[in-house]
Order: sequence, then structure tokens, then C-alpha cells
Amino acid sequence: MTIVVVMEQVPDVVEELAIAPSGTDLDRDAVSYVLNEYDDHALEEALLLAEASGDEVVAVGIDTTGELDQTLYTALAKGARRAIKLTGDFEGTWLSTRAAARLLVPVIQELGPRLVLTGVQAPDDLDGQLAPTLAALLGWPHASVVIGSELVDGVVQVRKELWGGITMTLELELPAVLGVQAARQAPRYVPISRVRQVMREASIETREVEAPDGLVPAVTTLRVPEQAGRAEILTGSPAEIADRIIELLRARGLL
Amino acid sequence: MLTTPERIAFVLLALASLLLTAHGVSRIVRAIARGQGRPNWRLFFHRVIPVSLDILLQRPIFRTRPLVSLLHAGVFFAFVFYGLVNILDLLEGFTGFSTLHRSGVAALYNLIADLLSVAALAGMLGLLIRRFGLRPFRFNQRVLLLPSVRFGISRDSAIVGGFILLHVGSRWIGQAVRVAESGQPDWSQPTASLVATLFHGWSEAALTTASHVTWWLALGLILAFLPYFPYSKHIHLFMAPLNLILREARPLGQLEPPPSSDGTIGAERLEQLRWYQLLDAYACIMCNRCQDVCPAHGTGRALSPAALEINKRYYLNRNLATFAGGATSPPLLEIATSKEAVWSCTTCAACVRICPVGNRPMLDLIDIRRALVNRGDPLDPNLQSALESLARYGNSFGKPARQRARWAKELPFSIKDARKEPVEYLWFVGDFASFDPRMQENTKTVAQLFQAAGLDFGILYEDERNAGNDVRRVGEEGLFEMLVEQNLAALKKAQFRAIVTTDPHTYNALKNEYPAYGFQVPVYHYTEVLAELLERGILRVQQPLRAAVTYHDPCYLGRYNRITAAPRRIIRALGLELREMPRHGENTYCCGAGGGQIWMDSGGQERPSEQRIREAVALGDDLRYFVVSCPKDMAMYSDAVKTTGYEGRLTVIDVARLVAVAIGIDGVEREAAPVESEAR
Amino acid sequence: MTQRIAVLVEHLEGQPTDVTFELLGLARRIANTDGASVQAYLFGERVGHLAESLPADSVTVVEHSALHHLAPEPTARVLAALLPADLPRLLLVPNTSLGMDVAAWVAAALEWPLVAYCQALEHRGSRLVATAQLFGGKILADVTLDERPTVIAALAGAFAADAVNPGAPGKIERRDAPAELAALRTRSVVLERPEAADVDITRAEKIVAVGRGIESKDNLELAEQVAQALGAVLAASRPLVDAGWLPRSRQVGKSGLKVKPKLYFALGISGAPEHLEGMKDAELIIAVNKDPKAPIFGVADYGAVADLFEVSEALLERLEG
Repeated sequence: MTIVVVMEQVPDVVEELAIAPSGTDLDRDAVSYVLNEYDDHALEEALLLAEASGDEVVAVGIDTTGELDQTLYTALAKGARRAIKLTGDFEGTWLSTRAAARLLVPVIQELGPRLVLTGVQAPDDLDGQLAPTLAALLGWPHASVVIGSELVDGVVQVRKELWGGITMTLELELPAVLGVQAARQAPRYVPISRVRQVMREASIETREVEAPDGLVPAVTTLRVPEQAGRAEILTGSPAEIADRIIELLRARGLL
Repeated sequence: MLTTPERIAFVLLALASLLLTAHGVSRIVRAIARGQGRPNWRLFFHRVIPVSLDILLQRPIFRTRPLVSLLHAGVFFAFVFYGLVNILDLLEGFTGFSTLHRSGVAALYNLIADLLSVAALAGMLGLLIRRFGLRPFRFNQRVLLLPSVRFGISRDSAIVGGFILLHVGSRWIGQAVRVAESGQPDWSQPTASLVATLFHGWSEAALTTASHVTWWLALGLILAFLPYFPYSKHIHLFMAPLNLILREARPLGQLEPPPSSDGTIGAERLEQLRWYQLLDAYACIMCNRCQDVCPAHGTGRALSPAALEINKRYYLNRNLATFAGGATSPPLLEIATSKEAVWSCTTCAACVRICPVGNRPMLDLIDIRRALVNRGDPLDPNLQSALESLARYGNSFGKPARQRARWAKELPFSIKDARKEPVEYLWFVGDFASFDPRMQENTKTVAQLFQAAGLDFGILYEDERNAGNDVRRVGEEGLFEMLVEQNLAALKKAQFRAIVTTDPHTYNALKNEYPAYGFQVPVYHYTEVLAELLERGILRVQQPLRAAVTYHDPCYLGRYNRITAAPRRIIRALGLELREMPRHGENTYCCGAGGGQIWMDSGGQERPSEQRIREAVALGDDLRYFVVSCPKDMAMYSDAVKTTGYEGRLTVIDVARLVAVAIGIDGVEREAAPVESEAR
Repeated sequence: MTQRIAVLVEHLEGQPTDVTFELLGLARRIANTDGASVQAYLFGERVGHLAESLPADSVTVVEHSALHHLAPEPTARVLAALLPADLPRLLLVPNTSLGMDVAAWVAAALEWPLVAYCQALEHRGSRLVATAQLFGGKILADVTLDERPTVIAALAGAFAADAVNPGAPGKIERRDAPAELAALRTRSVVLERPEAADVDITRAEKIVAVGRGIESKDNLELAEQVAQALGAVLAASRPLVDAGWLPRSRQVGKSGLKVKPKLYFALGISGAPEHLEGMKDAELIIAVNKDPKAPIFGVADYGAVADLFEVSEALLERLEG
């Protein structure tokens, strides 16, 4: 049996982000890409499920960056059995969630998995999150904000986090789609030497696909929030800052 | 003279004993040979003379514990001389040849044997009293010890100690008996002659019997002891010199690539260690000196380098036949040490430096780490995120590479981009000095000093990566190699004569590790450069500073690379009064940050850095500065003065800041804590 | 027929959540400009009685046992069954754990446009413009809506609830459960509350909150000391709770708790949107962070670009010494 993990590379928000002259996308030349952190959790959760059930994990991704190989090789090094990369005329574009889902559905249907896992959200999914979108197109049950899952007797038991520590436990018939917030345990570390070994020994299956309609999100303009700088900045040495803070608290009767 | 039956018995016993001994030794040799790699016997010829000289002078032993070392020296010299004594005694037993009442060389021989017998007895008694009376050998509660070790160490020490006492004692008393038999004192054997007075009035027959009994006790005992000898700690007599002779000629700061066997990278089991790591177990004399200097053990963590070697030894002794025959050992983490211990090593190399028999327990710990990392064993979360950041950004701070040289923008001048124009010195700044906001001030000061001295220097800007020193020491060899490749690619773009580094860890990597990757360039630490600039008068002290300071040697500078003079030359050139902490120079004590510890949670115990601050405070109330020359030290000790409550009394300061104040660099004096200068 | 602005009512254990009223408030403001009416979709097991408390012009009620906790599949299927006939101008869904599963599903199933992470929705001329928060809050995207019915997944806490009650409760319309609910593939939905919390941070007047900047678990002690000295309780952002350094009950943010203390003192918190959502309504926010560009300074009243350890030490000296 198969568990599919969908992995996406996203702009690294640790870096400074600039907006392209068009005003409708980031300046992609200045962007550096990283694996969406939630997808890393989705992979970990999938590997944990597969270790318990004997399923085979297949990592699938759409290469919008030209750098997806690194992500897929890492997934293979961590324990995925296969990696499939979808390529097409969309390198350097901001792919909408809907378009991504349309590209992924045929591959998923062909693989016939019992579960599809992906990150609960991505920094750029303006038109909604991937997991529910895939579920709608596939017609499968789903849950997002997943913080734990288990395969039992032909269903998947899923823990979905609401807020304030409240969780919802659901049983979904298979196949199902999960949007993972956090794997049961922190994503494992994979030594670089193993990744390099995998790069020598394993291969990534590449599929050429046609760019669908609605390829990019319908953005009118991107901008940087103006609110930054709302805070009055306290300057000086740590001692001076501490003095000012205490003064502020005293003035408001908070001390 | 022995009787004929006695002679026959001795020869037969000797044959049996030698056979059994040879059997034991061959097992041990086969066990050690199961380790990875093979010794380079050519080293033997190069090293045998200098190492023998070292051993004869007892130099490795006298590095610490002078009194105990003296006791050891007594036993050791007696042992060496007893080689001759035993042969002559054997000759005497079989032929009747005797040196009694002779003059000349024989008298000298008698005198030395007589005195050394007493030295050995006194030494051995002293050592036994220390071991059993004072019980100085304790492991903290968290250290993993094999059940056989707890009792075994005492038993083996008692057997070996007892043997030496009995052997030497019998020979000594035997000589007294022979003196008594001759009826007059032998002035070449003063102590034996003194003891001989005890035998006044004994009949001739009684004396003859006593002479035979002591002969047998002295020499027969050797035959009894010999088969046990390979399993005893006494075998260090051979294994320690062998260990010292066959050590690879490799700088302390250069690791070998991980051992690799049956698909395991690093070492999970005994036979996956290298041959010399198995030899270590047999060279170990269980003196626990390594444990005494270990910062992890000293702060109550589970690591004892001594316990590691002792556990290995006892496991091997107990399972020698099967292990020598090729059986798989249990995991090292069950028989040698614990995972907690493996991850508490700071790779400070204090254990390696102090070991009198040339053991390197630290290498075992690193090889176990390598196996754990490669197996995908869960890592400390902070360590994992540091490694992930290093793989992604080339620094452990998770900051984009582009921000690496951000500090340089705040300088009133611009630093050359070594990738674009040739420079004399390429300054390899390092992660902490580049990214940690607390360190950036120091980094700017160093830049200002270089600029003030008119040094032709440049940096690699965003192309510099962590040099990988500690990455290699946490066991992530692949990531280390990747960082090396990235740095070498960046260095290739630059033209320079030499490298200067801020971080001693970086210094060590570039100096000792990178040559294995074909990179051969002079590497200097910034303290070496500053010392020279001051001494050549290029940087001029405007206001000599007047304060009492102490200086902390970073492990990777002082111990690994023996750069201990340059920082002290700077301190003196500035007019400061330097007071040394008890542990300084190559004997420095680790701050606790090395070997990746700076990325891991310490588990909330006392830190080595806190002990170190107390060590400094004890130098006097008027000690003002705790001078450092490593960005990680700056971080560790700035925290430690706070947590120990000495903030305000003792200031942690980088040596470069002091230089800047003394030579009067604009802007620095105000920021640095007020140093009393001569002008005031 | 007048246009409708529809809102999916989120409720938990018999109570509509705050965000429901925020979305109804937003719907009312849009509707007032457009001359439209506000329609609420109220789904659940026995929730009909809630309809009267909702400030909407009409409330569409569907009751079914499968809708008890608004689990993703049943809720989405019912909406997708009703919407093609109702055809509202906008469907407002909270971008919460419950809502995000529904919004994206419905929009994809019906091929309607969707704007997620919406923090503002307003008229610009004759067009509606939705503003979404992307890339960890570092970038805003303005999306001009076209004429098609559109799903908006709106951030909790971003919009004001309507202060004015519309007066008479609106029309209440009960509908039968659609046939789709008979063939669900989601079974057995159970809610679990966390074990009794050690401290209730939602009731705390003063909170000292720590984030990734604290670096290691060892350093929590310092933050705890600062909290004690200020008479505050210690809270944290998600990464620290995920690392197991503090219990879930101390987590502030979208997936944690929303807090409105008199003082929120943020140490080493950069301010991911999910975190800001949980604390931006605090009366006084003071933030200490090394990064001058940290988004937390966007919501803080006072900020210091400094080393949190040095500031904490200095504070402790003054408060304790």
C-alpha cells in the first residue's frame, strides 16, 4: 500500500522578501527556497505511519523552483521509497493551490494511495490550503491541522487540533487526505552523507505536465505591511531600557 | 643454589607458565587486531628511542600528581632494574653465582637493587594505601560501569599490588637471609644488611630453608603471575609504550575520517573501533587522571573517559575467547558508555593530553556520535536545528548567508572583498563573531585594529561558511565535508597570502583539518597578529592599562594548537598584570561550549564556565578582567559571570577590546568598561 | 432578489465563537454598502436555538448528528449542496482550524474563487478588495474580487464584531439535511479538552511571553524569574510548546489561546501572524527582540531592539534588588 506525501518548496521567510516590479509576485530572483516546514512534518508523520503499517511512502512535488530535487532526495534519504517530480512550464512562477491540486490529482489517482499527507498550510497559499483542495477534487474525506494519526482496521484515526489545546479525533475511511500541522515527533535528522549517497544511487521520476488554467493566484498587488514601526522604540543600554520599561509599568499602575 | 628437583620443577613450571601466557597474549593480540585499520610499523623505528627516553624519564606521568608520580617512578625504576635482578637471581638459583660481598660493578649493582627494592616497596605501599585507604577513584552516580568493573578494579589492583609487594619483598628479604647466612653485613646492600640483623640466632638450616623459600616466592611467583599478567592492569607495561610508539603522527586537531565497517559509519560495537582504540583499553592503568580533568564529569554529567576505557577492558577480558574468535560485541552504548555521556563530551581533549599512556578516549566518543548521527538516532532538538541551519545557510544561527557581513556595514570604512581583489590576509571571521550580536562589537574592534595597523586584509562576505570544526566533532561527517567543499570553493576565488581567524575552532579546522583536503596556507589566530603588530610598534600603546587580569586559554588554541604565548604577550604589552589561573596554557579548563555543546541543552547542571569563573575570582578581589580570545568564550563567560553573581566584580572582555582601549581607537573606550589607565 | 453576504457560523460546544460575530460584523458592513442582506449558515446537531442570538437578516439552519462538531467533510458537503442554489455574493468562513478545512474544500468543489488569510475586506470604488496576509505576515496581497461568488477565509481577530444588535432577530429558515450526509466517509468525531490547566493564561492580567529567541530550555528559568518579579504568568509561542518546554496551556496564538491581558511582555518573539492573532488585543504590549524587523514591533506599543537576556537581567536587578 502507498502513502503519498506532497512536498512544496516555498520562499524562505527568514530572508528579506522583495516584490517584483510587476507588483503581483515576489522578486523571485532574490528569493531563496526552502521546504515548507509543515510538509517536513507531513513527511515525518507519513514515515511514522509507514513504519508501523509497512506501507510505502512516495514523495511527490511540483518543481516550481528548479531546486526540488534536493527536497526529494532528502525525503528518499529519510525513508521514502519513491520520489516523483512534476515539471513543466512553470519554473519561477507562483503556483496557485488550485492549479497545484489539478496537477497532482492524476498522479495521486495513478498511485492509488490509501493516504495523502501534506503540510497544513504554506506561506503562499493565497487561494486556500492544499489538503482540503485535494480532498475536494479527489472526493475523499479529509482533515487538516493534524497533530497525530494512526492506521487502524481500514480507517485512519486523526487528531486535529482546534485551539487552546482542544482536539478533535476523527475516523476517516480510506483513502483520505490529511493536512499535517505537526508530526507526532519532530522531523528526523538525516545525515548529509546519506542524502549524498541517495543522490548517487536513487533516482527521481520526472513527469512532464501541462500548465493548467488559473496557474497563478489572482493577485492585484502585493505590498509590505505598513504597520511595522508602530511600536515606540526604546533605545539605550539594556539598563536604560529596563528603566524605561519599569517607568512605563509604574505609570500604568502595573507595578 | 637450588636442589635438582627444585630445578626440574622450576623449568617445568616455567614452560607451563610461558605457554599459558603466550596463549593469553595471542588472544589479546587477536582481539586488538579485530579493530579497524592496521598499525604503521615503520613508526616503531622512528619512535622507539624518543618514546623510551620519555618513559625512562617518566615524562608522561609527571604531567600531574607529582607525589603519586614519584611513587610510580619508584616502582617503575625498580621494575626496569628488576629485569636484570631476576636474571641474576635465576642464575644464582641454578649455578650458585652470587654478587654477595663483591666489589666494583657488582657492588654498584647490589646497591642499586637494594635501594630500588625499598623504593618499589615504599612506592607500592603508598599507591596501595592511596587506592584502598583514601579511595580517590570514584565515578559519579550517572557514569555507566559494567558490574564486573566495580569489584574488578579493586581486585586487580590488590592482586597486582600484592604481587609486587610479595615479589620484591621476598627478594629483598631473601637477600637479607643470604647476608645473614654469610655472617657479616654486605655494605653494598645496606637495607638488606639491616634486615639481616633480624635473623641473628637462626640456625643454618633455618636460613637455608628461608633462602629457598624467598627465592621461590620471588621467582616462582613470577611463573604463577605470568598467565594472569596479560589480563591484569600490569600489561600496561607493554601496551602503554606500544600505544605511545604507534600513535599516528597526526595533529591533535585533526580527526581521521570515520571508521567504516559492515555498512556502519563510525562505531556502534567494539570491533568497529580502530585497532588502537582497542589497544587503549589494554594500555589503561585506571589512574582516572582523564576523569579528573574532564569538564563533563566535573559538572556531574554521565561521562567518564576512564570508565569508558575500563569498561572496554573488562568486557574484553571477560569475553576474550569469543571476541578474539570473531564474535560480535554488544553495542558500545551497553558495555562502554551511555548515550548521555557520548553527548556530554566537549571535545576539549583534556583527557587525551593528560593520559600518561597515550590513550584517546575522546576519539571513541566521536566515533560513537558518528554512528548515532548516521543511524538517524534522535538528536538533541537544538543540535538538530543547528545542523539543519548549517546545511541550509552555512551558519548555526539560521540567518541568511547574505547577513553574514552585516556588522561590517557599521564600520566607518569598508573591508575589502577578498573575492574581488587580492589581499595579504584573508580574515576568516567565523559564525559567532559574525552573527551573535554580543560578539559583533568585538568583531568590529578587531576590524578597526587591523585597519589602524594598515593591514591589507579582506573577508569572504556571504561566501564564508562555518568552517565545520564542531560539526565534525558532533559526528556529522557529511555536513562537515559539505562545508569544507563550500569554503574551499569560496577560498579558491580569493587571492591571499595567509588566513587570520577570530575563532579558535575555525583556526583549528583551517589549520589542521583542511590540509587533508589539499588546503595548505599559513593560518594565524588574531592574537598572533595583534601581538606582532604591538611588538613591532605598528600599533602603539598610548595609555598603558593598569589592572589585574587573568587569561583563559581556549581549548582549541591553547591545548590543541599550543598558542599560549601570543595572547600573554599582548596582555603584557598593554601594561596589564597577568595572574594565571591554576589551570592554564595547555592544561586549560574547557568553557563547556566545544564539540557542539554550545548547540545543546546542558540539562540544567552547573556549567564548566561557572567553575572557571570561580577559579578566576579566587585569584584576588582586585582582579578586574577575565580576558578571552574566542567568541564562544565571550558568550559562555558573559553568561557565567551573571549566573555566578560576579557581574560587576569581574568583567569578561576580549583581548582585542583591551588593545583598542590602550591604543586609543575612537569609540571603543567609551563602550569598553572603564579601564584605569596610567594617565589618570 | 437582493444580494446576500453569507457567513458560516462557527460554534464549539453550544456556543458561537468570537470569530463568528466578527464575520457577521464584517458581513453587515459590506451588506450596508451594497444594499445586501446578511445570511448566516448555522449547522450542527441541536443548534437551532442559537439562531436567535445571531445578528443576521436570515439564518439557514441545518441540523444533523453528523454536523455535531462541524467536522470538515460533513460541513463542507452541506455547504456545497446549498450554495449553488443560494448563490451568495460572498461566503465568509473563519480561517480557523474548523473553517479552513471547509473554505478551501467548498471553493474547490464549486470552482469558486477563494481568498484565504484575509485580514481586510473593503470597497474600493465599486469593487471589493480583499487583503490577505502571506509569507509569515511579511507581505500583504490585495485581491480585487470579480463578480463571481467568492469564498473569503477571514482571520480571527482581524475584524470588529458589530457593536449594534440589529434589533429583531432575522428570519429563521430550517432546511433538511442534504442527501450527501447519508454517504459520509467521516466517522466518529470526538472532542477532547485538555486536562485542567496549571494556570489559565486567558485570565492573567500580566503575561511574560517567550519565543524562539530564548534559545534553550535552560533559559526559561530567567524568563520565569522576570514573570515572577512582575507578578505575571509565563506564556510562550508555539515553537517552545512544540518542543515540550512548556505545556500547551501556556501557548498563545491561533492554535493556542487568545489573551487580552493588561500587559503582554514579549521576549524573543518575532511575531508570526498566528501568534499575533492571539495577543494583539492586549492593552499594553512591550516587545524585546534582536531583530529590528520583527513583525512583533508592528503590534507592540513599545519595543526594544536588544538582547532579551541583558534586558531581563537588568529588569531583575531593578525589581528584586
